[in-house]
Amino acid sequence: MKYHLITLGCQMNLSDSERVISVLDKAGYSWTDNEEEAVLIGILACSVRQKAIDKVYSRIHKWNKWKNHKNLVTFISGCILPNDHEKFLKLFDITFQMKDLPNLPEMISRYGITTPVHLKTGIDPHNENIEEFWNVKPSYQSDFEAYIPIQNGCDKFCSFCAVPFTRGREVSRPSKEILAEVALLVSQGYKSITLLGQNVNSYGLDKEGQEITFSELLREVGELGNRMKKEFWVYFTSPHPRDMTDEVIEVIAQYPVLAKQIHLPMQSGDDKVLIRMNRKHNMEKYRQIVHSIRRILPEATLFTDIIVGFTGETESQFENTRKAMKEFKFNMAYTAMYSPRPGATSHRWDDDVPLEEKKHRLHELTEELRKHNRIFNHNLLGKTVRVLVRGEDRKEGFLSGLTEGKLIVRFPAENEDLTGKFANVKITSASDFSLEGELVKVEALV
Amino acid sequence: MYFCPLIQKTKTEKLKKHIITGVRHLTDSTFVLQLERNGLPFQTGQFVILRRPGTIDQREYTVYSGEKENVLEVLVREVADGKITPLLKKMQPGVELEVDGPFGFFRFQPSMFTSKKFLFVATGTGISPFHSFVKTYPELDYKLIHGVRFGEEAYEHSHFDKEKITLCTSGDNTGEFNGRVTDYLAGMKPDKNTQCFLCGNSKMIHEAFDILISKGIPVQNIYTEVYF
Repeated sequence: MKYHLITLGCQMNLSDSERVISVLDKAGYSWTDNEEEAVLIGILACSVRQKAIDKVYSRIHKWNKWKNHKNLVTFISGCILPNDHEKFLKLFDITFQMKDLPNLPEMISRYGITTPVHLKTGIDPHNENIEEFWNVKPSYQSDFEAYIPIQNGCDKFCSFCAVPFTRGREVSRPSKEILAEVALLVSQGYKSITLLGQNVNSYGLDKEGQEITFSELLREVGELGNRMKKEFWVYFTSPHPRDMTDEVIEVIAQYPVLAKQIHLPMQSGDDKVLIRMNRKHNMEKYRQIVHSIRRILPEATLFTDIIVGFTGETESQFENTRKAMKEFKFNMAYTAMYSPRPGATSHRWDDDVPLEEKKHRLHELTEELRKHNRIFNHNLLGKTVRVLVRGEDRKEGFLSGLTEGKLIVRFPAENEDLTGKFANVKITSASDFSLEGELVKVEALV
Repeated sequence: MYFCPLIQKTKTEKLKKHIITGVRHLTDSTFVLQLERNGLPFQTGQFVILRRPGTIDQREYTVYSGEKENVLEVLVREVADGKITPLLKKMQPGVELEVDGPFGFFRFQPSMFTSKKFLFVATGTGISPFHSFVKTYPELDYKLIHGVRFGEEAYEHSHFDKEKITLCTSGDNTGEFNGRVTDYLAGMKPDKNTQCFLCGNSKMIHEAFDILISKGIPVQNIYTEVYF
């Protein structure tokens, strides 16, 4: 029996998909790239963009037509808004929340391949029994990079985002499980581990003193790294500026395994836009955090998320974002043009910044980012950087990888065996968004 | 929104059913919905989500009642073409609602501030958190400016110390001040150490924010809660 799974959206969904694959493999299904030969097809949906949800509707209509001439069971999970959930109940055979994943084989068996009985479960905003989901051993899709979910849900209610309504409340995973998963991965030779959550740095707060805090969790990971005496990098995403403390930054500075790369979503550089976004941080708070990062972790790279053209964003408010880009000198900014999403609070407001203006603002920020990166990357010329090799580059005869700060580096090498290993690369040329170099040394297998 | 960083996160309770115990109609469109507290813990300034059992229709409301009261109250203004508020308006005591929460970071605890002088600025039902603040801490040294269109929208002003509240009416001259809250605020000279809390629509908050900054109030002393 073959299955096919489509994963849309962010790293959370990618991480979740590793557990879905594990459950289906264990239940006796085997993966197929070809959805036409599958008897079971699933989607992990994303509600951040309307386009992603449109894709779901387009696919399910196609699959439901296939049911006229073949046996097929369809399921959907992931980030789903209540309104979409209601519609999906009628379109998919099975809808479930990720916390109910361990029961998926039972849902499928109760459904039966040919029995058209809809099996439905509602949305539980409190994520009860999410522990059972976390206990599913994931089927990691890489031999050297892995995601570890440390938290699910969100309590922040940013006005542009629907996650509190799709993933429910913030629930922290027990630290013992997280540390055990880190230890297991490192012992298996994993080199890059990302701790995942919607607001990772509010980790533990929901347990009211019954769980360690995020900085304490990072410290435990750092200590684990010291004990295991292996080289690996641990990242986390995404933190919220509201809960970011100097303590977190200081802990990162103390342990070599905690990667010197911070992703700190800014969203806007204007206080009034931040108020409308219901972000719970202002630019002064953000500036304080960046200063702390520069002071305590001068070598760290800084990434961010920005939305341009949010409802009501004036030219002068956008100008503040552009100034902030200039001031903070981000190494990467994932910039998105605002698009209203049903279910998010801002969907009730006029999307009043014209598309052309949004494109213009996106372009302006990209140029600002490009300018800074050009200088930053050129300063690396002649220097040797440590790179985790990720595989073949698009440029023939080259491999590429990421530095600890997640800068892209490519270098000539025919030897595929380097994938998943650390290598030292001397930078010989720099472009705006990537670096090129020569292999200096390859580490022995660890 | 600006936040109160020193207050611990409040435990989120499981979604519970709460029976409506009373409805106080304050105007034709605005009413206080009183529900059983059912032990729901919250910090003054937080909000809850109300939902009709068995539906996906829900809406967020800041808690109107005080932390120590046995009931849970929310102040609701009916939106004529809304999905939720016309139904809530018709509800009678005895009807059950699901309550999710509490949520939010507009939490208030006087002990966390070195300066104990507070300025509260509200428009319309944005008075809710301040009603809860004052119910919870009756001895507060505060000044509340409440902006509405007509005097009849002075929601339960008798619950406040009349020396500490100013009604601004922009649609008639029944208030202590005839004009918008921001006009009133522009004429004030607040002490620079005043802790300023703004709640209401984003237009008012943006204007009030600029006025307070121009009067030398540091940005970290301004806390906002936008009503969407």
